[in-house]
Amino acid sequence: MSDYKEVIIDHYKHPRNQGELAEADKVVEDTNSSCGDIIKIFVRMSEGRIVDMKWQGVGCAVSTAGASLLSEVVVGMTKSDLEDFGEEGVVKLLGGEITLGRMKCATLAYRGLLKAF
Amino acid sequence: MFDVEKIRAEFPIFKRKVNGNNLVYFDSGATSQKPEAVIEAMNRYYRETNANIHRGVYEMSAESTRLVDEARADVAGFIGGRSEEVIFTRNTSESINLVAYAWGEENISKGDAVVITKLEHHSNMIPWQELCRRKEAELRVVEIDSQGRLVESCEKKIFEENGLKVVIGGWKELLDSKVKMVAFTGQSNVLGTIIPVEETVKTVRKLSPSSVILVDGAQMVPHMSVDVVKQGIDFLAFSGHKMCGPTGVGVLWGRKEILNKMKPFLFGGDMVGEVKLTGATWASLPSKFEAGTPDIAGIVGMGTAVNYLKRIGMDEIQKHEKSLLEYALEKMEGLENEGVVSLYGPKDEMRGGAVAFNVIGVHSHDTAQILDNYGVAVRSGQHCAAPLVESFGVTSMVRATFYLYNTKEEIDYMIRKILEVPKVFI
Repeated sequence: MSDYKEVIIDHYKHPRNQGELAEADKVVEDTNSSCGDIIKIFVRMSEGRIVDMKWQGVGCAVSTAGASLLSEVVVGMTKSDLEDFGEEGVVKLLGGEITLGRMKCATLAYRGLLKAF
Repeated sequence: MFDVEKIRAEFPIFKRKVNGNNLVYFDSGATSQKPEAVIEAMNRYYRETNANIHRGVYEMSAESTRLVDEARADVAGFIGGRSEEVIFTRNTSESINLVAYAWGEENISKGDAVVITKLEHHSNMIPWQELCRRKEAELRVVEIDSQGRLVESCEKKIFEENGLKVVIGGWKELLDSKVKMVAFTGQSNVLGTIIPVEETVKTVRKLSPSSVILVDGAQMVPHMSVDVVKQGIDFLAFSGHKMCGPTGVGVLWGRKEILNKMKPFLFGGDMVGEVKLTGATWASLPSKFEAGTPDIAGIVGMGTAVNYLKRIGMDEIQKHEKSLLEYALEKMEGLENEGVVSLYGPKDEMRGGAVAFNVIGVHSHDTAQILDNYGVAVRSGQHCAAPLVESFGVTSMVRATFYLYNTKEEIDYMIRKILEVPKVFI
């Protein structure tokens, strides 16, 4: 049934940490080939930990909310923290239930962010 | 007489519910549903006949072989070709790859050109891109107008990237004696644009007389009657699963004279004549291009599918789809005028049963998901035609495609549910 929990609609309509990050240490891009969505992620790092993250891109409600929600929880994480967090962690942020057909949308930002390390 | 309710009763899938609703299946462009007759023929094959073809002298093997031969004859008859010219593959992509490798490797050289169109599905684009890159040949792409129709003439654009030279223009700019292959779709899988094959072939033969013509029939063969001889083409590729047959079986039809000159594509069992440790001779057509045990049950299903379509009548099916399309376009134009949707595609007669659109301000995946909540299955995304979709200035589209079992009531239902979409997101 619907993936559109309130949290998704909220973050879709009011995305957090959207924009560019001046003096980013890493800028990475990832795409979802099934729909052409592109996300650009800006990260500042210190000693292998994320200090700040911002993101830009066009996307559906699920990928937008996925990026927005992720950007709120990743500060302080190392690569291994992020790997432990996992795609399951992203699904939990999005309200706990994402259909298989939308997993690529949900995890677009997560997959992109992993490339920043 | 064409009776859609009778037809629907022959498709078991319509008994199921989706999210508590009746299934409204508008994604036949991706794959069609299967009638009981096809499912039953495949089951019966496994229950009663199962044996490998061309192998045993025993009764069941002979029966299997006969079933495959019959299916091949039925498919050949369906498109106006000869049995030995019908090669069973896995799908349209494999059929086109067969030509791009087995014909392309021998016949395309540095300085030659291959012509495709902006309307192509990736399956009729990437094999030619890669062939041209390997051979240092030019890839020429026929441009479309704002309604997604191929243009006769336009300003030429040339660019080169990753070792591939691409030239964009109209038919007039792109067809000349350098062209060795012209590969185009019979009907756009995204916009429904129908390409008049006979007319196009005449133009190609006049301006590029030494070229070979391949038609991607994946969206054409399931929806209209096709006669490869009348069309005057050299190759036709299509998939069984888009025309009431099973997944896993595709067809390459090729003119015998050309197929005979080609080397095999895949090597192994069943495609050989005499075999020694130092080499082999090749079997005659069509076995030469069918290495290994094929999907026998699938081929039986495919043969049953073409007979099923023949029984209903391709002209009747096309007429039904046309009336659905006109009805849907009228309703969708109403929504466009109200500022709810944007529509893409031709506004003339040359259009098959596909409606591409976006709900304004909503991503195609979100629209498709809301429609799914109401039991409406539509495709969203880039439809394996990224350059085409992006040329309309959007990253993705929603697409509803119609087939013989769809009804106007289902279209009404979708229209009502499209109106629910903006309420969620805007």
